[in-house]
Amino acid sequence: MAAVAELKFTSGNVAQVTISGSWSLREKSPHLKRCEDGIRSKASIGGIAIRADNLEAWDSSLINFLVKILKICESKKLKVDVGGMPNGIQKLLNLAMIQTDGELESREEKTKTPLMFLQTCLSIAFLRWKNLVQFFGETCIGFATFFRGKAHVRAREFLVIVQEVSVKALPIVALISFLVGLIIAFISVLQLAQFGAAIYVADLVGIAMMREMGCIMTGVIMSGRTGAAFAATIGTMVVNDEVDALKTTGISNTDFLVLPRIFALTLTMPFLCMFSSFIGILGGMCASIFKTDLTIIQYCTQTVNAIYINDFFVGIVKGGFFGLLIATIGCLKGLECGHSAEDVGLATTSAVVTSITAIITADAMFAMLFSSLGV
Amino acid sequence: MTAKISVKNLNVSYGDYVVMSGISFDVQQGEVFLVIGRSGCGKSSLLKYLMGLRSVDSGTIFYDGKDITSEVAHDFYGKKIGVLYQSGALWSSMTLAENVALPLEMYTPLDKDEINEIATLKLSLVGLKGFENFYPSQISGGMKKRAGLARAIALDPEILFFDEPSAGLDPLSAKRLDDLIIELRESFGMTIVVVTHELASIFAIGTRAIYLDIDTKTATALGSPRELLETSRDKNVMAFLTRGTKEIE
Ligand SMILES: Nc1ncnc2c1ncn2[C@@H]1O[C@H](COP(=O)(O)OP(=O)(O)OP(=O)(O)O)[C@@H](O)[C@H]1O
Ligand SMILES: [Mg+2]
Repeated sequence: MAAVAELKFTSGNVAQVTISGSWSLREKSPHLKRCEDGIRSKASIGGIAIRADNLEAWDSSLINFLVKILKICESKKLKVDVGGMPNGIQKLLNLAMIQTDGELESREEKTKTPLMFLQTCLSIAFLRWKNLVQFFGETCIGFATFFRGKAHVRAREFLVIVQEVSVKALPIVALISFLVGLIIAFISVLQLAQFGAAIYVADLVGIAMMREMGCIMTGVIMSGRTGAAFAATIGTMVVNDEVDALKTTGISNTDFLVLPRIFALTLTMPFLCMFSSFIGILGGMCASIFKTDLTIIQYCTQTVNAIYINDFFVGIVKGGFFGLLIATIGCLKGLECGHSAEDVGLATTSAVVTSITAIITADAMFAMLFSSLGV
Repeated sequence: MTAKISVKNLNVSYGDYVVMSGISFDVQQGEVFLVIGRSGCGKSSLLKYLMGLRSVDSGTIFYDGKDITSEVAHDFYGKKIGVLYQSGALWSSMTLAENVALPLEMYTPLDKDEINEIATLKLSLVGLKGFENFYPSQISGGMKKRAGLARAIALDPEILFFDEPSAGLDPLSAKRLDDLIIELRESFGMTIVVVTHELASIFAIGTRAIYLDIDTKTATALGSPRELLETSRDKNVMAFLTRGTKEIE
């Protein structure tokens, strides 16, 4: 039988709600509206008795229904008698109606004036700056103590990270770089062939990969791969109190977490960038040979003639600097992480977005710097 | 005699939200001092202040008579205090033995073999002999907690902080842990500050306890657990210590 709740007005000024049938969360409960209207419409009733009649089965749906009725009665200051319900239901209703003690109200957001809002925003911004400055300060001190031979950077930790950011990153870097080289060659060969200058594809691909694309593509890949991993690992350690545990054990988290990561990435990124450039040139070569009648020898000779030692150094310097940026941002975002799983996600996202922005900005600055230096 | 730890008028707060206000107490050398109270009353937060992990807005904390609220001494962490976190907080990239060995590597001149021996010794004190080469992800929650304790006592610190050491342990392990706490206090003379809900532990190990009352947001009782049980006139304290079975009118 379906769930039924019926409101009847008996003699005297007591209304009676009769509950019957089988109540289940998997089916729709009867409408509260009828009972509610009934209770609200009568001004004269002094109390309500709820009783079960032919109640076959019940679960939380019934409790929920009754709580709503109790609340209506509470707002109308009506007495409610649930004595006619099974014992279990009475107990659950008691539990459901208990107020949480004073604790909650003091936590409710007080309405804020615009001035207070501004104040909160400013203090949050101030705190973030303070964190940033502190982080950089500690990292610099960390570097200084390291080069004086006093920092406790663990060799094994460092090597594990190096492996993670070098050998394991090679396949993806190779794939992306090859394709980028291929794409550059494909679009430029069509244009250059119009002037009978197809051979200069080699120059274009070589310089583009060496000076710009190698570093940028590697930087973007490493931001998504390694920067994110740094932020997530350290963020999770914050959530698990592991970072606090480092501090209370007297181990500097700069030495233990930040320095190995910065060293590992700063040292390996130049190699990765070089690798990326070579693979990109290889990709360009494949495209050119496929599209024009250049031979491998011609292409290689042209490339070697086009690239200067400067281009090589530009790539290395930029690569190292990008590595420094990615690792620093990843560690900073990880250490700033809050105490929940969601915060780890936010920290990771923020690390990737910030690193990529920082890399592109830095690249633009390098471009200006190098052009004014004439490198 | 100056108290080992002395707290004066400390406020525990998160931003505008004040969890506890005006807490004052002293912890003497060689005590097992308990911080008790209902869930959410601010025990873990209080411990964070004592360990210098949160900066104090209002109030002062002294260790051996020295104020640490503005600056902690350089040997404060590591040698002076050891901490067991509520979840163990083992470093997940290292085995249990390495977890215990790391503080030893940092702070002692011992050679590798000796460090390993001591790590094994500490692990066997908490009943984890044979688990040296396990990673934290390979052991149960209760075992993580015990390993965390082994790490906390790696350097034989002067003061130990425990956040709910026996929560999540089976009754026998909990009893063993209590025995270990008493042992640490008696043999090494360590000062131990414990946050706990476990009534059995409270009466077994505590020399004195402070009760943080969640309703009034202040500390409402301070004394030995027995004393509190026998003489306290505060109905929340009594309800807490008797599991709500004895009421004060
Ligand atoms: N990071 C935080 N930001 C805001 N409020 C917090 C934060 N951490 C804890 N609180 C609040 O501070 C109060 C005390 O929390 P705390 O963790 O210290 O309680 P506890 O006494 O250790 O509880 P339990 O016995 O359950 O571990 C709680 O009301 C909690 O909501
Ligand atoms: Mg706690």
